[in-house]
Amino acid sequence: METTAQSKSRSLITGLLTIALGVLAVTSVGVVLHHSSADPQPKEYATIKGTIVGPDGKTYPHAFLKDGVYPDPVSSKAHGTCATCDGGHPSWPSYGPYTHFVLPAHTYVTIDLVVYDSGGNLNTPYFGNVVGTVAGTATYDGVTKANLDPTAVEHTWTLHGVPTTTQDPLFVNVPLPMNTDSEMKAYNDDPTKLPKGHIVEFSFITGGKGEYLWNCEYPCGDTSYQGFGAVMGSAAGYMGGKVSVI
Amino acid sequence: MSSDSLEEMKPTPGQRIRSFVQRKDVMQTFVLGIVITAGFTLMGLYAYPNWMPAVHSKEMHSARLIMTIFTVLSAPIAGLVLAVAVRAFLNMHHGDTPPPDSELSERSNTPAILVWCFSTGAFVVAAIAIGLLAYNSDTNSAVADAPDAITVDVTGAQWAWSFYYPAQNIQTHTLELPSGQPVDFHVKSVDVNHSFWPVQLGVKVDANRIVTTTAETRPTTLGPIDIRCAELCGLNHAVMETSGAVVSASDFANWVNSIKASGGVQQ
Amino acid sequence: MTTLVHQSEVSSPAPVPAKSLITKLNIVTGFIVGAIFCWGTYYALRAGRDMTDTHNVNKVLIISMFMWSLGFMIGIGALIGPFRWLIGKDLTPEEELYMSGEGQGMKRYFKFCTDHKVVGIQYLVAVMVLLGAGGTMAMMIRTNLARPGSHLVLPQIYNSLVGLHGITMIIAMIIALTGPLGNFILPMMIGARGEAFPRLNAVSFWLLFTAIPVLCSAWFLGGIPTGWSAYAPLSTQAGPGMNAFLVTIIIFAISTAVAGTNITTTVITMRAKGMRFNRVPIFVIGCTISVALAVPAFPTFMAAMVQTGMDRTISTGFFDANVGGTGWLYANLFWIMGHPEVYVILLPGVAALLEMLPVFTRKPLFSFPMAVAGMAGIAGMSALVWAHHMYMSGWMPALNGPFMVTTEFISFPTGLLFLVFVGTLWRSRPWLKFPMLCVYAMMWNLLIGGITGVYVSDVPLDGTLHGSMFVTAHFHYTIMGAALSGAVGAIAYWFPKLSGRMLNERASYISFWFVQIGLNVLFMGMFLVGAEGQARRVANYSEQFAGGNLVSTIGAYSVGVGMLVFLWAIIHSAGKGAIAPANPWGAKTLEWTVPYPAPVENFSEEQVVTSDPYGFGKRVSK
Ligand SMILES: [Cu+2]
Ligand SMILES: [Cu+2]
Repeated sequence: METTAQSKSRSLITGLLTIALGVLAVTSVGVVLHHSSADPQPKEYATIKGTIVGPDGKTYPHAFLKDGVYPDPVSSKAHGTCATCDGGHPSWPSYGPYTHFVLPAHTYVTIDLVVYDSGGNLNTPYFGNVVGTVAGTATYDGVTKANLDPTAVEHTWTLHGVPTTTQDPLFVNVPLPMNTDSEMKAYNDDPTKLPKGHIVEFSFITGGKGEYLWNCEYPCGDTSYQGFGAVMGSAAGYMGGKVSVI
Repeated sequence: MSSDSLEEMKPTPGQRIRSFVQRKDVMQTFVLGIVITAGFTLMGLYAYPNWMPAVHSKEMHSARLIMTIFTVLSAPIAGLVLAVAVRAFLNMHHGDTPPPDSELSERSNTPAILVWCFSTGAFVVAAIAIGLLAYNSDTNSAVADAPDAITVDVTGAQWAWSFYYPAQNIQTHTLELPSGQPVDFHVKSVDVNHSFWPVQLGVKVDANRIVTTTAETRPTTLGPIDIRCAELCGLNHAVMETSGAVVSASDFANWVNSIKASGGVQQ
Repeated sequence: MTTLVHQSEVSSPAPVPAKSLITKLNIVTGFIVGAIFCWGTYYALRAGRDMTDTHNVNKVLIISMFMWSLGFMIGIGALIGPFRWLIGKDLTPEEELYMSGEGQGMKRYFKFCTDHKVVGIQYLVAVMVLLGAGGTMAMMIRTNLARPGSHLVLPQIYNSLVGLHGITMIIAMIIALTGPLGNFILPMMIGARGEAFPRLNAVSFWLLFTAIPVLCSAWFLGGIPTGWSAYAPLSTQAGPGMNAFLVTIIIFAISTAVAGTNITTTVITMRAKGMRFNRVPIFVIGCTISVALAVPAFPTFMAAMVQTGMDRTISTGFFDANVGGTGWLYANLFWIMGHPEVYVILLPGVAALLEMLPVFTRKPLFSFPMAVAGMAGIAGMSALVWAHHMYMSGWMPALNGPFMVTTEFISFPTGLLFLVFVGTLWRSRPWLKFPMLCVYAMMWNLLIGGITGVYVSDVPLDGTLHGSMFVTAHFHYTIMGAALSGAVGAIAYWFPKLSGRMLNERASYISFWFVQIGLNVLFMGMFLVGAEGQARRVANYSEQFAGGNLVSTIGAYSVGVGMLVFLWAIIHSAGKGAIAPANPWGAKTLEWTVPYPAPVENFSEEQVVTSDPYGFGKRVSK
């Protein structure tokens, strides 16, 4: 026969144990979710080479980045390392090999994108404009343009607002030119043969430190609704990613 | 409303009312009611207005005012309910056996029910009246303002806002508005539903595909505006934000001109 | 309650039908047949289909999920009766008796058992599991929002957490009282020997049970990005997890309809002799109004989900503006269910507390007619207010005024319920036991939830508050603060009837303060950031809201700890609690005359009722 004191202390112990187990259970769910939330996006650090005078007359360090845009993650993998490429989505187009760009603060950044995909109509013609770059232009295979025909865009690189009151605003939108049907013909026949591609170059000047987000505004998702399902609506790392200014 | 509303049920001469009010438990309840009512009133008058966004428009002004009025109006009802509850709580019975049956066995009290129904009914009617009047005034001013209003076409896309000012023929990604001039937002979406929410202007409307919805306001005070999406719209809903400002008419003209100078697209 | 006693004959148990299939079927055979149906359908339908086409994926998944549910129901033996009807027969009386589970111990909880008390316990466990799952997701949400920057999870996982927390909690709260207590206690309260449709009773639970794995599968199919409101066209665009959501809702709607019909019919037809409608306990009335309200409300949600499913599979375009549909159709259908649903959740909780209020104050319930009028008024009005959720949708601004009038008018019947609470508490000396504390908690939380409800029902003010965290805080005060407090109080109050033991008091008090202080801190912080301008359902927010969000997260952890203490109290007390006296609270309702453990048919004699159960108080009144 146990005493009241014994049963009381046993109650206390099992009670604390329940709390501990409950906290443990919830924490392990958190750990699992956090683990599966590990950012799959490979980072690309901009490399600084020399300085350049910006449009405001100031001298900035000049940083460079290169990336590609592929009709499917397999071919993007073929051109570099891409952690998200093995995700079992062979039909998803993707930026590659990188989707997370790390840029130095207060720097003149020049980004080169080689684009290999087909394209079409933008949902929002506005994103056919080049916005937020130096001089409001980008060069397309060497030709300087302020906008593209919004019915012949491949994808867009749209870096936009994050909910913040402390970071400097940074809004950049660059439409990418599509490869025409004839340019894509070889690839459509044999997916290992990418088209020659178009080279897009643009520059912008970063502000202070901050975390930003970019996504594509061309409806390259599935056919469910307005082209924003699947690759567009499910996950970053294909048609969306991050920009860290450090 | 105060706690003397719960009167004895029989038709009472003034004496009975007086003795009722002077009873100790009634006095305690009354004092408690006053204190709680005062607490809610103070919160309505001083706490809420400080929580809410800065006022940049007539609509935001009336939103803050209505919040204050409703809190103050409901304070006495909350005061009565909580006073009776707290008074009973302070009088509680402890122990492992049920307390003896109450001295009271009344199942109803017509004057109390009437007073209650009248008070809550008055609150409801007042709330409806205030709401309808404010809504009517917003709608009327929107109609009256329309001819000289500046129109802004707002487009929501997953997950960025863009704006087009038709009269000025400029495309922007931030929203600047001249102070004092009514503004007419024509809102649409190119994909799923969004909700256009310029926070400090106190208006909001969903963005739908194909159909255009409208929201009207008149910015009155200079200052920054946060533009958010208030309708869950998928992956990056949380970052579908941009900024803007209410500026003076001359600053607005300069802003428009600078954008026109760069080809009509804001950089 | 005064009862007169009549003897009536009690039939002796019949032998177990040894050769019947029914004796072999249980939850395991259910899972086996369900899995066979599910995977069989999946592989059969996949074959020869282009599975890179989203529409085909949706078709295959939706049909497979329904087949799981059907297979499980067949496997557990729910459809043996209907199959027999096809050949002009039915279950034999021996089989019927076997299905009531008499003398089968723990096993009957894992079988298709028609005893309403078994179904009640099954529901109770389901509610606890769902609350645990929903609560865990709430902790994840609050942890992610503790600091700006969304450090815990990716946005797609956050969005799924928000949606699945929502629907899990909504389902849990809809069944929180009418499931366990509406089945276990309610028939006893009206002096009935069972429920009107015992087999449907078991069907309603096991259908709900089959919906749970379907809902869980959403996690493994990429989650849902839509929140529990599942607005179209975002739901059309959503990935395969959305199929799990819509199948869950459809199954749940059927389960609710079955349960609602059963409880309503039981209360209407099976009351004890002499139990006129003005002698029915208020909890029974609250439950009945709640389930009767759910019966017409849920089909609109089900219809909306069927349409969503059709848009996703065969491109019907009900909600697709590109082909002439509109998302406003979805919003209307959803909220025609959505607003009554709030009261489906709230009424049983409030009614349970009204039931125990006279017991703990030893006073009659103040103005029983006003309590009934309040609940009936709320239920009636709740069908006329749905578009207040759509003030800012742009759907029909001309209707904003009328809907503001109906919505604010609903404060009036809600006020009547407060009148009953205040009138009963007036000059009372309440017995401070845990269930009575829950009455206090509910009154405070419903007061805050109700007053802030008037704010958001005002159109000009809603221009600021709609879609913000303020709304989230408001409805959590009503659904969690009021309804869940009511449910917790009710479980504690009837715990002696459910388990034969008393709920551990000290643990309940500890839990109470952790939960109530926690939830007030949690949602006060949320009111603050909502009024300030933080939108709902955001994975990330700007630094200006950091303080309020951190406060909310701390409050949430306190609620979590409190809930764990309550869980311990239930588990510990069910096994080791003090043995309960027959009528520990000195109540006058009929369930307290039933011994523990309750016999299969509850009462051995026919009950006759001569008064309502609220005859407390020393002065004898009319
Ligand atoms: Cu794209
Ligand atoms: Cu949005």
